[in-house]
Amino acid sequence: MKRLLRVARREYVERVRSKAFVIGTVLGPILLAGAMLGPGMLMAKQRGKPLRVAVLDHAGELGEPVTRALASRRADGQLRFDVAPLVPGADGASAALVERVRRGDLDGFVELKGDAPAAAAEYHGRNVSNIMDLQLIEQAVKEAVLDERLAGAGLPRDNVRALTKPPEFKTFQITAQGAREDRREAFFVSILMLTLLYTSLAMWGTAIMNGVLEEKTSRVVEVVVSSVSTRQLFGGKLLGVGAAGLTQFLTWAATMVLISAYGSALIGGGIPALDASVVAAFVLYFVLGYFLYGALFAGLGASLSSQQEAQSLTFLVMFPLILGFAMFPVVLTNPEGGLAIGLSLVPFFTPLLMFGRISAVTPPAWQIALSVVLMVASIALAVSAAARIYRVGILMYGKRPTFRELSKWLRQP
Amino acid sequence: MRKAFAGHVAVHDLSLAIPRGSVFGLLGPNGAGKTTTLRMVMDVLRPDEGRIEILDRAADRAGRDRIGYMPEERGLYPRMIVEDQLMFFAEIKGVGRREAARRLDGWLERLALRDWRRHRLLELSKGMQQKVQFIATVLHDPDVLILDEPLSGLDPVAADLMRGVLVDLRRQGKTLVLSSHQMETVERLCDAIALIHRGHKVLDGSVADVKRRYGANTLVLSYEGDGAFLSALPGVERVADFGRYVEVRMADGADPQAILREAAGRLRVSRFEVVEPSLHDIFVQEVTARGEAPSAEEVA
Repeated sequence: MKRLLRVARREYVERVRSKAFVIGTVLGPILLAGAMLGPGMLMAKQRGKPLRVAVLDHAGELGEPVTRALASRRADGQLRFDVAPLVPGADGASAALVERVRRGDLDGFVELKGDAPAAAAEYHGRNVSNIMDLQLIEQAVKEAVLDERLAGAGLPRDNVRALTKPPEFKTFQITAQGAREDRREAFFVSILMLTLLYTSLAMWGTAIMNGVLEEKTSRVVEVVVSSVSTRQLFGGKLLGVGAAGLTQFLTWAATMVLISAYGSALIGGGIPALDASVVAAFVLYFVLGYFLYGALFAGLGASLSSQQEAQSLTFLVMFPLILGFAMFPVVLTNPEGGLAIGLSLVPFFTPLLMFGRISAVTPPAWQIALSVVLMVASIALAVSAAARIYRVGILMYGKRPTFRELSKWLRQP
Repeated sequence: MRKAFAGHVAVHDLSLAIPRGSVFGLLGPNGAGKTTTLRMVMDVLRPDEGRIEILDRAADRAGRDRIGYMPEERGLYPRMIVEDQLMFFAEIKGVGRREAARRLDGWLERLALRDWRRHRLLELSKGMQQKVQFIATVLHDPDVLILDEPLSGLDPVAADLMRGVLVDLRRQGKTLVLSSHQMETVERLCDAIALIHRGHKVLDGSVADVKRRYGANTLVLSYEGDGAFLSALPGVERVADFGRYVEVRMADGADPQAILREAAGRLRVSRFEVVEPSLHDIFVQEVTARGEAPSAEEVA
């Protein structure tokens, strides 16, 4: 055991020190932060300073209420419009305002035609593609017109706002454990996490395969195997590379947790909170997935003898992983369906698909427990098979074993 | 012990006893089964049959920890720092970090690698890498050293340095097992040898005994003229022509003086010497006597 740990320590230290690891560990969180914060930040930046607008009132009745309504409109808690003094309707008033917009004194103006019963409005501005702002202006005009009409019909002004307030509407999803609010952002984050999980499994699986191959091609393995058993070498490798992978993965997960906790405050909303259970599943399924795929990749590496061979045969092990990734839309559209449940219990797919389901709904505890049990059992199988292949394969140079030979190695005690 | 691979037997019922504290040469041509034998001793391969004892105990991990093994296929981690690498190899032999670090300085100094300790292995020349490999073999202070082709790939200066180190280790009471297909290079270092051929032991014993057994049955002759008749002389068994001189192997009981008289009568002889046969000759002689003519490659 001591030697296994020494092999693992070498593996860990060498990997953590490598440039690739440092870059991946530092760059990963930066990219992640970009992916999670970027869109929100861009939108916030685009809104930027309040729009300078003026109101031109040809009829003389709606000008005041529209100005008041605009001046009280907020976006992300900030007053959105800087409203210039009301411009009374006159010949050439419109042309004068157009000139002010051109000069840059104003961003745009609202032109009101007619009184409340037959009101019409136009917006003239330099930018007319900013849908959010246009919606706010339209709302302000509608509200003012509605106020005036209802007041005209004899309703007290104070009551009007309360009477016309639309109901708040939210969507909730019912799950086994209770209800949680459905958010579009949450979906985006679970896809992001799924992609990270897939990338990390592929990356660290390939890393262990290349490590095994490097020991073989540099012939260092004979020196090592004369000091430790192949079992110790294999176990140490799996643990050491895994520990390095977990280190990197945890920094990524921690970044996501930090962003989801403080990101909203940083950019003014839009970042969904992460459930602790989702983060726990994220780490758990990485660890389980790593041991399953890592063992297979290590076995593959031991039965090959060059990088070129590895390039053409990696797909053998990658295929189930890719398949799992390709099937997650199926699972996410109906996470509680029989197909989704079945697929997420297949050990090769479990890390991605069960995680996907956990992030979308809350599957029954027995399904999660079963998936873990099945994975642990397949890991035990994969590790013992790979260790056998490793024992013989690691000392075979030059020639690639046939399937018959491989199965013979597997049957050896 | 015995080891067969698919289709052929690499080692046939080979039995070797290596005395403690001696320098033992395991000699034979390429493909004779030397490396396979050593790999079985180190548990890199498992024998099909047979028994291995190390330091008078059935071979186990603890016994193998007392051995330093340098395989023929040298191997180190190319991207690892020299110092870290050596510490790792000592550690997986069960040596503590502090102990290994203490010994490391001495070895790096001795093999002139001190300035390279913080470099990656791949930045070192081939010869320096060989020295690093040697340190990796001895850093855990083994009682027994098994070196497969210890001098191959070394330049003459490094080879001399290495020979000095080996002699020193022997003086410290270590047991050295040197395996080589170039018999002459290790012959001079060895106290005892075993010659193996195609997985069989051809002969073994102390170098002095082996040579005595074959006696002084070889003549070295330099001359001017046509020496073709020499091989037909009575008492001459075989003539090997090396250009500047010939080696004549005599039959048992042949009289070197009679051969000299014949030669002197027909040629201008400039050198005549009765010598012990080289291990190479003994090997060829033994193998031929068994009716297994060695192939050209094996003799080379």
